[in-house]
Amino acid sequence: MLFNSIDFAIFLPIVFILYWFVTNKNLTLQNSLIVVASYLFYGWWDWRFLSLITFSIVVDYFMGILLGKEENRRKRKLLLWVSIVVNLGFLGFFKYYNFFVDNFIAAFSLFGREFKASSLNIILPVGISFYTFQTLSYTIDVYRQKIEPTKDFIAFAAFVSFFPNLVAGPIERATNLLPQFYTKRTFEYSKAADGLRQMLWGFFKKIVIADNCAEFANQIFNNSADMNGSTLVLGALFFTFQIYGDFSGYSDIAIGTSRLFGFNLMRNFNFPYFSRDIAEFWRRWHISLSTWFRDYLYIPLGGSRGGTWMKIRNTFIIFIVSGFWHGANWTFIVWGALNAVYFLPLLLTNKNRNHMETVAQGKLIPGLKEFLSMVLTFGLTVFAWIFFRAESLGHAISYISGIFSSSLFSIPHFKDATMLTPTLLLVLFFIVIEWLGRESQNAIQNLLTKNRIARWSFYYLILLLIFIFAGSSQEFIYFQF
Amino acid sequence: MKKFLLKILIFLLPIILLGYFVDLFISTNLRKSNLYAQKEYPTWNAILEGKLDANILIYGSSRAWVHFDPKIIEDSLQQPAYNLGIDGHTFNMQYLRHLLTLENNPKPKLIIHSIDIGTLEKGNLYNADQFLPYMLWDKTFYEYLSKYKGFTYLDFKIPLMRYYGKWDAIRTSIEMLIIPRINQPQRIRGYQGQNKTWNQDLDKAREKMTKYVIKFDKPSAILFDQYLKECKEQQIEVILVYPPIYIEGQEFIANQDEIIQGFQAFADKYDFMFLDYSDDELCLNKDYFYNASHMNKTGAELFTKKLCTEIKKQENISLH
Repeated sequence: MLFNSIDFAIFLPIVFILYWFVTNKNLTLQNSLIVVASYLFYGWWDWRFLSLITFSIVVDYFMGILLGKEENRRKRKLLLWVSIVVNLGFLGFFKYYNFFVDNFIAAFSLFGREFKASSLNIILPVGISFYTFQTLSYTIDVYRQKIEPTKDFIAFAAFVSFFPNLVAGPIERATNLLPQFYTKRTFEYSKAADGLRQMLWGFFKKIVIADNCAEFANQIFNNSADMNGSTLVLGALFFTFQIYGDFSGYSDIAIGTSRLFGFNLMRNFNFPYFSRDIAEFWRRWHISLSTWFRDYLYIPLGGSRGGTWMKIRNTFIIFIVSGFWHGANWTFIVWGALNAVYFLPLLLTNKNRNHMETVAQGKLIPGLKEFLSMVLTFGLTVFAWIFFRAESLGHAISYISGIFSSSLFSIPHFKDATMLTPTLLLVLFFIVIEWLGRESQNAIQNLLTKNRIARWSFYYLILLLIFIFAGSSQEFIYFQF
Repeated sequence: MKKFLLKILIFLLPIILLGYFVDLFISTNLRKSNLYAQKEYPTWNAILEGKLDANILIYGSSRAWVHFDPKIIEDSLQQPAYNLGIDGHTFNMQYLRHLLTLENNPKPKLIIHSIDIGTLEKGNLYNADQFLPYMLWDKTFYEYLSKYKGFTYLDFKIPLMRYYGKWDAIRTSIEMLIIPRINQPQRIRGYQGQNKTWNQDLDKAREKMTKYVIKFDKPSAILFDQYLKECKEQQIEVILVYPPIYIEGQEFIANQDEIIQGFQAFADKYDFMFLDYSDDELCLNKDYFYNASHMNKTGAELFTKKLCTEIKKQENISLH
């Protein structure tokens, strides 16, 4: 079920009423409702997906219990590996099988050998990368004895399948989310109101910014050979706002929805396009994934404790794996590697933790140096997104060649430009609001809080903009990951 | 919780209360547009407001719309005519226009029904914006439009719902209020002659496929049969006309003869006339067409005159 669908608009109030008015007296009943609602939400795409998530839940629930009982270190490690192999095995099969088969065939043919294997017509279950990582965090944390294994199967099933963040994150840690299913939730007005605000802004980001930018990004990327350099630059810019609006919009709706039910999910985006260097960008972009890789991959590999080569190796590993996590395509791997190249100079000169605070804190406008740093970082990010969006490496290279051609300074040309001016104005409005709200949890959290009429008028304006300028509905990009 | 729900209610109340009136405002102004939604509003308005004032009606899809000049028909047959051709739509939607026409206007004496290879195909909700101002709480529109993917049940029931994301429609509606001068009618009694020269549509189609096979959609065929039966019962004369198609375009359709025979069988069953122009000499001259299946204004005028001459010859058709 899509957040931006009429189905969800009907589903959410029904679950909300059942949750707070019917099942509120009994915690297990309330958690059961979450499981049922989450299964309905997920099965709305394809009921066959439910068997996979159920299998993951059952496997990791019992692995957790066995890990809790087992004291022998070797046996504990074996149990952990069973969980990792099962979870990553599913993920690998559904997401990467065809990629590996195709690349093996290509590699063998390079050496004049024929390797016989055929690709399979595999449907990628929506959000499999997200819930796989979420459930893996549980078994790893139980193994590390950071969390007690749960004996409450319903609570564990609710933790893995929790519908707000099930298909596109934030990827929650068991240490944060699971305990919230053990305790009775009480309705808090301010939390719920804040959740609604965050949802509203998330819908604006997705429906207005991402979907309208997508129209142009698709038009340009799908016909890049016919476009001049300046249009290609605009195409990359439109995709930059599309992916941010799409993914951070989803996270906002997910976090806002969970707050309506009394839960706190972790923050996933923190105004990344206002970053002054790439290290800051990666502290602010898809935080739940970056920290997951940091805690479960980078640190076990030795992190930045070793020598220079180890730092370089670990940085490349984490960025390349992160790229590969996004999809079975070399474009994602190059995107990850490119970000590693951006990041390394900062790491090696110990400047990767230079900008820990929000840019221009307490000020309306940034200083010139800050502004230029933001522009440069933004430019590097836009360039990297070309690889992320391109269909293949060849497409990305021809796209970049097209940008750096004699037509770079010619007038941009669009097949259908009727929505161009409204889209540009909406993006400008979006940037201004994000800038004004950059010190809050979400952009509109503390906007106009002192004047109720102004605040409500602003909310009506956002609703009006959503109503009028809703772009043609596109599935959330991150569902495919 | 009470405070939360109450505030949501208070917040939503103006939207709920104003929704219907804003919807009415948009719809009322939008339907004034002679240009939006491929210029279909004047025709819908004439049908729904009972202003067709015609004894001869032309039905069909885009071929009806651009091939049959009602002015020539009026001059030749001495009867008021109106072209109800609906661009891009198959018989299901043509039948909706027929039903609404009979509901709101005097019964016509003659229907010239332009049939073609697509008439009894399934079709899709092409140019859906043409229905926006008329469909709220309308049972007939709901019955026919809900057969297609595009609108949801709630679009027909909740004010404003169907205008969600329709910036062009909302903007046009506002323009109609503040700058109505950019609204010159393009269609005359439903017809618009196309001052166009030959384009590359056929070449593009050939690049995509070599032959095109048409399949009759069974429910559409049943509905078509029912329509002819109803016309017979109501003593409305129907002439089925297969208009000229450029010869190279005809070669592109693998089973055109089979389709024509199918329509001939319908005509024979109800003793209606069937005029087949698929091998007329007009089909050989590219100058009369702007693409394989649509005539330009010159071609359309020649064809309409030819058709009128043929109709006048028919002694069994009485229009007076």
